[in-house]
Amino acid sequence: MQLSRGISWRAAQKNWLLIGALILLIVFPFIVGALTNTSPTARRGLAVYWQGVMIELLIYGILTMSYNLLFGFTGVISFGHALFFGLAGYLLGGFQRAPELAESGLLIGIVVALSVCAVLGLLIGTATLRLKGVYFAIFTLAVAEMAYIFLSRYEPTGSEDGFTLGALPEWFDPTRSRLTFYYIVTAIFVLTFILIRRLMESPTGAVLLAIRENENRARTVGFNTLTYKLFAIVLAGILAGVAGILFTLLNKKVGPEMLGTAYTVNPLLMTIIGGAGTLTGPVIGAIGLRFLELQLRNVQIAVGDTVLEIGRTLPIILGALFILVVLVFPYGIVGTFVRWRQNRKARDAERLAKQAEALRSVS
Amino acid sequence: MSGLLSREKRGSLIAIGVILSILLLFSFFTTGDLSLVRTGGISAYLNTINPGDFSITLLSGLLRGMLLFLVAAGLSIVFGLMDVLNFAQGGFFMIGAYIAYELHHTPAIIAAVPDGNLRFLLGALVAIAIGAALGAALERGLLRPLYERPLFQLVITFGVSILILEATKLIWGVSPRSWTTVFGLNEGSFQLFGQQFSVYRLFVIIVGFALIIAVALLLQRTRIGIIIRAGVQDSQMVEALGINVRAVFTAVFTLGCAVAALGGAVAAPFLGASLGLSTEFLLGAVAAVVLGGLGSYEGTAIASLLVGITQAVVAKFGVQYLNQPVWESLSPMILLALVLLLRPSGLFGKE
Repeated sequence: MQLSRGISWRAAQKNWLLIGALILLIVFPFIVGALTNTSPTARRGLAVYWQGVMIELLIYGILTMSYNLLFGFTGVISFGHALFFGLAGYLLGGFQRAPELAESGLLIGIVVALSVCAVLGLLIGTATLRLKGVYFAIFTLAVAEMAYIFLSRYEPTGSEDGFTLGALPEWFDPTRSRLTFYYIVTAIFVLTFILIRRLMESPTGAVLLAIRENENRARTVGFNTLTYKLFAIVLAGILAGVAGILFTLLNKKVGPEMLGTAYTVNPLLMTIIGGAGTLTGPVIGAIGLRFLELQLRNVQIAVGDTVLEIGRTLPIILGALFILVVLVFPYGIVGTFVRWRQNRKARDAERLAKQAEALRSVS
Repeated sequence: MSGLLSREKRGSLIAIGVILSILLLFSFFTTGDLSLVRTGGISAYLNTINPGDFSITLLSGLLRGMLLFLVAAGLSIVFGLMDVLNFAQGGFFMIGAYIAYELHHTPAIIAAVPDGNLRFLLGALVAIAIGAALGAALERGLLRPLYERPLFQLVITFGVSILILEATKLIWGVSPRSWTTVFGLNEGSFQLFGQQFSVYRLFVIIVGFALIIAVALLLQRTRIGIIIRAGVQDSQMVEALGINVRAVFTAVFTLGCAVAALGGAVAAPFLGASLGLSTEFLLGAVAAVVLGGLGSYEGTAIASLLVGITQAVVAKFGVQYLNQPVWESLSPMILLALVLLLRPSGLFGKE
């Protein structure tokens, strides 16, 4: 009785943080509007600019949560996550701008993009998840690179330049009604978080964790690990596709860079720095890193006579950070914090036990 | 190499023979103008078959195969020995190309070493040295602490490959470099069925063959070779016998990276230096390693040539019939995907 109340109290305490974050996300446009003294519903202005930044951060959050589902929770490494992200963008764009589909093109584009992501995940998974993990990494890298080279030279989709979307309905247009788009992205972000959280609390999530820890053991216990891994890759593919669709809508253009290594490396980096295999880590990593990147993009530091452009050296700094984190900080920000708290609790319990022991021996 | 001719490998050799003959026949008969067949003039079509084109395609394929082998050799032996697939191997090839290019085109160095051949040799040596130094640092500093966490080893080599790419981008920019200086070695050419082929490229093919045999001899006949082969079988057992396996790991990894950098340096006079080399040669070499069977040296050597020839044949066909040069860049990835789908254990691999 005592125990169960303790757990639910702790759960509530944890949820308070999340609920607080959710409220912050909801009132964010108005806070920024009040701080910068601009209207959050206007077409331009600082408040709208910051909404745009936040939308991008949340999209990165969705992409990184999707990566974490594979890498952090299931222990499967994909070096081609950008494939789902970019392909969904291209498919959505292709259907959306087709003149013969008119308004329905957007909806058809979303449905087709997500279905293709799911089927692609299923195909890639069936082909290589039976084999050692390294084959899956190679295969995804090869397929993503193939799609990247192909699309950057394929003229009907604008080769290197990509193409811009057609006109969007007014209520859905990120430039004309950005606040609405902000809430749409926020809702999808929150739903993704809840979905992954519910999944990881479910028996299926437990099997995914078991596969990560020791796949042979999970198989010996009687689980068809291939099915579970397929489920993870299909879901991760769909979520990355969702991120790609939102990203395309936000920028109103697609280009081959969406399939480039950047959109594989960034989620990987953000997952590891935030904390692979934790729920909030990837979100913190994605939002924090992308925010820093946006802020540091135009910063210049003068060291003596030489001017150091942070924007140009940023990829190298991030790469070095990545290696450093893997070597000395492998649990990431959230993972390290959780471990530290657990250790502290264990130490506290030990101290209490010692005190109780001392009291008993006195009496 | 008696191992290659053993009974159990006969099946693999037959498979290779069949694939190679199909490739070569395909290449030979598509040098002609196939549209003539439809219009009824079989003999007119046969007259357009061009043995010169065919032999040039074959030589280009061998050349490409040799370059792939220089990247794949380290990749394969390191994988067999340490269970690490070094995703940064393509990056070493790219660095080698940039170093050779830079040393041959910087005015200050041209003034110091006016002889083109000597400067090229210097470039190759510097590329080897830098490749070896970076490789040793990578193994010692980054991979060694992670042997308990293989998932992160994979992640870190991938991270290093991105780091190498970004550093190169920062130093040399994004625009590709094409080789413009002349030097004696690179100048001569010879005629083959009326087609020109550079002597330098033939020289690269011959050096490649020499290297394949040299490494084979190293593996078969020397003490370190025995240790490496034993390590591929069971590295823990080798360690239990009192051999410092970790030192062997470092040596092999360093050598593999140095050879990949040498490959880039040797390729620079005709491929130039560009950022795309990294992924292109990584994936081509990985295709060769997987096709040959992970960890099998002879498999890697044969598969490298096979992948190279396939790429040349596809490139020729793509330009002649599809009017699309993109297929040359795509072919290693398509081949890799096909191998993984059809026979992931490779030609010489164990099931």
